[in-house]
Formats: sequence, C-alpha cells, structure tokens
Amino acid sequence: MDLDELYRLLRGAHVRAQGVVDTIRDPLLVLSSDFTVISANPAFYRTFETDRESTVDVKFHDLGNRQWDIPELRLLLEKVIPQSASVFDYEVRGTFPRVGYRTMLVSAQRLKHPDNGQQIILISITDATERRQREDEKDILIGELDHRIKNLLSITQALARQTGVEGRSAKEYRDTFLGRFEALARSLNIGSSKDASGLPELASAVMEPYLGGPSQVKIADGPEIALTPNQATALGLIMHELATNAIKYGAVSRPEGQVEICWEPKGDDHASMLQLRWRERGGPETSPPSTTGFGMRLIRFSAERELGGQAELAYLPEGLTATVDFPR
Amino acid sequence: MPGETIINPDVDNGLSVLIVEDEFLVAMDLETILEQGGHAVMSSVASVEAALKALEDGRPDVAVLDLNLRGQLVFPVAERLRSLNIPFVVASAYNDLDIPGGEVVADVENVGKPINERRLFDALRRAVPAA
Repeated sequence: MDLDELYRLLRGAHVRAQGVVDTIRDPLLVLSSDFTVISANPAFYRTFETDRESTVDVKFHDLGNRQWDIPELRLLLEKVIPQSASVFDYEVRGTFPRVGYRTMLVSAQRLKHPDNGQQIILISITDATERRQREDEKDILIGELDHRIKNLLSITQALARQTGVEGRSAKEYRDTFLGRFEALARSLNIGSSKDASGLPELASAVMEPYLGGPSQVKIADGPEIALTPNQATALGLIMHELATNAIKYGAVSRPEGQVEICWEPKGDDHASMLQLRWRERGGPETSPPSTTGFGMRLIRFSAERELGGQAELAYLPEGLTATVDFPR
Repeated sequence: MPGETIINPDVDNGLSVLIVEDEFLVAMDLETILEQGGHAVMSSVASVEAALKALEDGRPDVAVLDLNLRGQLVFPVAERLRSLNIPFVVASAYNDLDIPGGEVVADVENVGKPINERRLFDALRRAVPAA
C-alpha cells in the first residue's frame, strides 16, 4: 500500500483526506511491516531536502545519516504492528544531511488495509527545532530570573539580619533597615538602567532623600563614569552608610555642616582607577568609633570584596573624609 | 535574629569554615551567622582562584560553596576539597545541580538561598563526621 492507496482508504472512511494529506505541512512516511519506506509525502522531501530515489524502498533506519537508527525508537516501532502500539512525539535530536541540527518529533501508528488486511506503519514527523529552542531559551531565562530573585532575597535577608537591634527601638530598627533597603533598591535601579547607569546618576539617586531644599549635601560636577550593576550596588550602599553616619554623628547633624561628594579617574593613565571622595566639613569633631558596626563593616567589605579596591576613613578635626579607590 | 547571640547547642567545638560566595552582602551574612553559631571563618573568598589559594594556605574543617561565582562555576574548588577529604555543603539559589561537571556536587547537600541558619547548621553537622 502506498500513499495513493492510503488516500483511497481514508476516503473510504468518508473523510475528505487527500486534500488534507497533501496540505499537511509535516513530513509523512508510509512503512511496510519490515520498516521499508513505501511512500513519502512532498513535505518529507521538502523538509529533508531529499528525493524519492533516496527514500522509497530504503529502510527507515537507513535514511539520511541513519539519524533515525536509535535503539529505543526501533524497539518502539517494533511494537507498533504486533501490539497496535503507537508512538507519540518521540524526540530525535541530531544533525541531518543538508538541513543541519534539528529536533524532530516522531509519531507512528498502525494502519490496516480493510481489503487485504496488510499492515503498514504511518510515520509523521514534526520539526520542533525552533519550538524547542524557544522553550530552551525561555527555560534558561526563567531559571536566570528565579536565581536573581533568590539572590535579591538573600541580600535583603542579609541587610535585615545585619541591621543591629541593640540600643534601637523597633521603629529605629525599621527605619535603619528601610533606609538600607531603599539605598539598595535605588542602586539596583541605576545598575539596571540602560541609559543612566553611571556615577552622577547613582550619587543623585542614593542621596536624593537628602538633597531637597537648602541642602547640606553637594554632589560635585564629576565626569560621567559608567558602572557595572555590582559596582553601582556597592557604591550606592557605601554612600548611604556614610550619609546616615553623617546625619547621626557627622556634619549633617549640625545646620552649618556640609558634605561634598566628588570623584575622579586615577591610576597611571588616569583611567584604570577611580577615586570617590566623601568630605564632611563644619560638623562636630570626629573620632573613630569604638566599635565596628555593620555600617563600617559594610563600607570596608564592599570596597574590598565587591569593588576590588579599598576604603579609607580619616577622622579629621573638620569632619570625616572617606576615600574609596577601586579599579574601573 | 539580628543582634541576638545564636548559640548552636549541637556544636560543642566550633568548626573552621571556608566560605566561597561572590555576593558580598551574603558573604558578610554567612560570616556573622557562622561566628554567632560558634564557628570560625578560616577564609571568605569570592572566586575559584581565591578559594584554591586559600586551600593552599590553610585547611578548614568544612566549606560552604556558592555554585555560580560571577559566571564561574565552583566545581574546581569542590574537586580540590574532595581530593583533600574536606567535606562541604552548597548554598545556591539554583535548585537543579544537574549540570555538566556537576557530578562533583551531585550528592552534596544544598541548603538553598535565602539562607536559613538552622538548615545551614544542620547541613554542616551532617557533612562533618563526628564533629
């Protein structure tokens, strides 16, 4: 039985099949009970860029570069006729002659000729390459997103746990934590921004809560410096810690106090390094803290670990000066 | 709980721990958790290279490994730890460790992220024989 006969057979079953089979975009093969190809539809020749000569009378497993010669698929097909089993969307990935690497879904079904009882196998093949690729890409993207969300939760958890409770009321704890949380959010926003992921923007964004009105905080007209998202997070958190410290103990605790933030490229070629300076003036006399709180640890840790540089804090009579040097 | 001293009653003798974690805030958090749990941080590093160097300089009782260090997989560190017979646990946001080269961490406990202190301490106790 060949495809013509199949058409007749299907017509006999009161199905207007010929048009259907002809317009089926998926490749179809009719195999004899010993897996020899009896016939193939135009879509098969088109998809595999092959012809009748190299297809008909060839064993299914010998087609192309023997891509279909998979022991598991063979076993499945061997059950199709005797057990009337069917194969549904068996995935075959491989490099096919002329058409390259493809993902094919193979389905197989037994058909029985109503007159002579001859049994054949109808094989349909779906090219799922693009669909699979899209699915794979989507999975990777979802996995990446899932990872980022959990990472962000871990960071938030760290901020919540590291923000100390000793000597703080619940409200103070909440405000301190939310301040850090907001600085993190603002830094991440700058880090992921397509057109404003640099230094003036980061400084303005993190210091925004302190910039309104007759501000005591001044951001110098520094050069535009691009930052990676990780650098933005680290620098943003550093500036936030310095700001809260200045409000509590430093220059901003007095109306006449001033803070200036500036930065400039450094290094041999004035490009390989960056220096960020935080300079307080007009505040109370400062001295190094007796205990190292999370804020100071965070400044050092982020400068060293995240930026690969260092932070220096100088407690000068006119106020604190913090210098962060790191490679760009 | 922030600020509270957490004593892990199951650990009589603190362990010396190597932390391999690229996210600096999480690394800081891990250090605090471990120290408050009565352990000592031998070294806290953010890259494969730094971890291998740390293992040349000292021998921890156990290691806590993040899986993905800025796009670099931690497997070379896991292999070195295996060859040195140093137990380790994984702390990764990835649920699926079934990736090429991942055989070296296949039977290792992943405490997941965000990190739960109890789960981390339990995993460390299981990883370190008769600590």
